[in-house]
Amino acid sequence: MSNSTDLERRYRRLLAFYPRAFRREHEQEILSVLMDSAAPGQRRPGVAESADLLANATGMRVRQPTAWEERHHPVLWIWVRVLAGIWLVILTGMLCQYGRWWGLALLVPAALHFYLALRLGRFIESQGEAGGPPSNPPAP
Amino acid sequence: MQEATFLILTALAAGSQHGYGIITDVEQISKRRVRLRAGTLYTALERLRADGLIEVDHEEIVDSRLRRYYRLTPDGGERLAEEAARLRANAHVAMSRLDVNGGAARA
Repeated sequence: MSNSTDLERRYRRLLAFYPRAFRREHEQEILSVLMDSAAPGQRRPGVAESADLLANATGMRVRQPTAWEERHHPVLWIWVRVLAGIWLVILTGMLCQYGRWWGLALLVPAALHFYLALRLGRFIESQGEAGGPPSNPPAP
Repeated sequence: MQEATFLILTALAAGSQHGYGIITDVEQISKRRVRLRAGTLYTALERLRADGLIEVDHEEIVDSRLRRYYRLTPDGGERLAEEAARLRANAHVAMSRLDVNGGAARA
């Protein structure tokens, strides 16, 4: 029993990477699937399974526009996020290639840029853009 | 249509199923070649639902776990039938050409 609660806790931690609206709708359900798929006595999520959850959570965050973005150039925001992601990958590559200290110095603002690109719409929205629901969960 | 999507719709064609049911069914249909992972499955389900090809059938709580059952919409059934017909037509051409040219290559 304690094995399964350990496993469940770790799965929940991975699921936390998903957008909130999606989690509200699907977290319990995905957790059931993950626990049903688990081998007896399994305590940790598998590597491939974890990578799959993280990749899909990131993809969902990059694609999914907020209600604010929906009303203001939704496609533009997707590009902002994609470009920020590309910049992050290039800089990580440079850092691995040259291993210089300034690579690391660049990586920090790049990561910050990527994070801000993900959050910007939500931030502007929370600043009190009039009307519209705070998020757009899919219709049940 | 991606193969995973095709297999998910096929799994739902016989009746409503929950997430884990879809995974095991897809594995069976594909003869253990396609094993969907949970993250991939729910991204696909979310997209299919947004496209109106599937919908939620009902929910159950089993051993304090939520199970949500999905079913095909009429649109979903139509899309699946179109795709199956397209694949069959392609397969038919491939088979007949192999028969004409090779003779021995029968699957």
